[in-house]
Amino acid sequence: MASEKNTIMGWVDRRLPVTENLERHLTKHPVPKKVNFFYLFGALLMVVFMIQVVTGIWLMMFYTNTEEGAFASVEYIMRDVEYGWLMRYMHSTGASAFFFLMYFHMFRGLLYGSYQKPKELVWLFGCFLLFLLMAEGFLGYVLPWGQMSYWAANVILSLFGAIPFIGPDLQVWIQGDFVLSGITLSRFFALHVVVVPLLMIALVVFHIFALHEVGAGNPEGVDIEKYRDKKGMPLDGAPFHPYKTFGALPAIGIFFIVFFAIVFFAPTGGGYFIEKPNFEEANFLKTPEHIAPVWYYAPFYSILRAVTFGIPFLGITSKFLGFIIFAASIAILFVVPWLDRSNVQSIRYKGMYSKIAMILFAASFITLGYLGTKPVNELRTIIAQICTVFYFAPFILMPIYTKYEKTLEVPDRL
Amino acid sequence: MKKLLLILLILSSYGFSAGENNCGSLEKCDAFSSNVHDLYSLQRGLGIYMNYCASCHTLKLLRWNRLQKDLVIPENIITEELIRTPDTKIADHMTFGMPDVSPIGAPDLTLRTRVRGDEWIYTYLRTFYEDPSQTSGSNNLVYVGTAMPNVLAGLQGNQALDTGGTLVSISEGSMTAEEFDDSMKDLVNFLAYAAEPARITREKNGVFVILFFIVFTAVMNLLYREYAKELK
Repeated sequence: MASEKNTIMGWVDRRLPVTENLERHLTKHPVPKKVNFFYLFGALLMVVFMIQVVTGIWLMMFYTNTEEGAFASVEYIMRDVEYGWLMRYMHSTGASAFFFLMYFHMFRGLLYGSYQKPKELVWLFGCFLLFLLMAEGFLGYVLPWGQMSYWAANVILSLFGAIPFIGPDLQVWIQGDFVLSGITLSRFFALHVVVVPLLMIALVVFHIFALHEVGAGNPEGVDIEKYRDKKGMPLDGAPFHPYKTFGALPAIGIFFIVFFAIVFFAPTGGGYFIEKPNFEEANFLKTPEHIAPVWYYAPFYSILRAVTFGIPFLGITSKFLGFIIFAASIAILFVVPWLDRSNVQSIRYKGMYSKIAMILFAASFITLGYLGTKPVNELRTIIAQICTVFYFAPFILMPIYTKYEKTLEVPDRL
Repeated sequence: MKKLLLILLILSSYGFSAGENNCGSLEKCDAFSSNVHDLYSLQRGLGIYMNYCASCHTLKLLRWNRLQKDLVIPENIITEELIRTPDTKIADHMTFGMPDVSPIGAPDLTLRTRVRGDEWIYTYLRTFYEDPSQTSGSNNLVYVGTAMPNVLAGLQGNQALDTGGTLVSISEGSMTAEEFDDSMKDLVNFLAYAAEPARITREKNGVFVILFFIVFTAVMNLLYREYAKELK
């Protein structure tokens, strides 16, 4: 141990366990040798998080959080600030990348059972992070104070107003005003740059500490801790650093190629990353023809819109029921660890029903996403309703099909 | 697993391919995507803007000296010929002496191509036709009932709708149809530049950033393979 040595590091280590923690989390932390590309999204998410923090700080230096100044300050960043456009596009593209990677990261979790005992807390912290990311993205989208910022925020805030009894007061309390105004903008700014990012950093730390406590999974669902060599390193494992850190670098390179291709050549993502109406300043007298969420909220927005009926005798309007089901679509992810009764982790060894369920879930999620960016019509509403059922069914039926389906034998080694 | 990914890929391509058309009474706008790297086109576009647009429409987010630098225009041409209001300095925005909101309600055009899209503007500018029922005497296929008069009639000549609803030329302007289309492309290019002056640098330098990361990825892959050998 370095702590006994009479070196500067030894001096520090006797007062702060730096070496011990570096070994515990990096140089001696065992991770499975063989994983597939699905296991790279966590590292990429860390990269994107850092991009968002750094570019966010720069944007904050030039942004004005007032009703009168917000829109102009964004254009000031785009035109008069040196490389301001780069910071802004990296931040806006980073938001889309964040969700893209997050969805794959979580889908990996669903496929390979990364939520099963003892990883429940890792999964829970991750779900909280998704929730916070959604809040962060929403708050951030309001800040440029364009038409879509304003009207999309109106749609979302009005959901709170749909809650029976307390709704209207709650909405005013959140807005800080009787309408969405500069007061709302200021508080959203505070939440976007301080409160939510701080919570996210804390949760990322918890997420990783919990993961390092229980150990990373692998696509086979094999427990690598079973067989160890003489030094105590699992036979199917390798130290996180240098094997996984350097292993992630090519992936980070590929990610940056795609990321910067978007930043430099298609920063608005064809209207999916920055919507066209957002280049027009917010105007409370003029509602855009079609209010569409950014693509990453589209699946959930679709679920919200698919609920076209209420429960009148309970006094529940269709809007409020939509809000409940919309909230449930995220909330149900939190309980997945307790829904899965399978004796194997990975989809590779699960039965037919689990595979069908995952395909149904993914297909309905993508279809809902597509529908969410389009205006509603009768056919689309019916498709969205069917997809909403297919979105929930894999989870609601999970306790049944995972318990009774025939699973394959999991090998001993990777 | 691979089948699953394939299905996802197919589904996602289907999800992001289709788009709603939004081109007024037309089924589809004419295809055009702006190019901000043709300097002469931008300069010609500026010329048309100054002659036909600037008396009503501001460019309140674009500065004269930014324009001068990006379009490589001698400073004396800007100060002596283009800036027509006495108090305007070269670092000022291009408001042409108009107040923030145009007195006749003409919208600011700086970000217009980003709000409407290149194709919309390009088609809009070319589909004016005579319509006595309108106050301005003309109407538009893309923006039906637009308040904007057909200021480009001198260049394009007048058009009218025939009974089938298609545009027919009823008088000649100073340009041929092709010349007019090219001029409108110049104008849209200029407006696209005004909407995002940084686009010139962005698209030029992006190539080098991508090349850097291709090399980076290749080198990192070699490094990774060295470590991967030890894992076997």
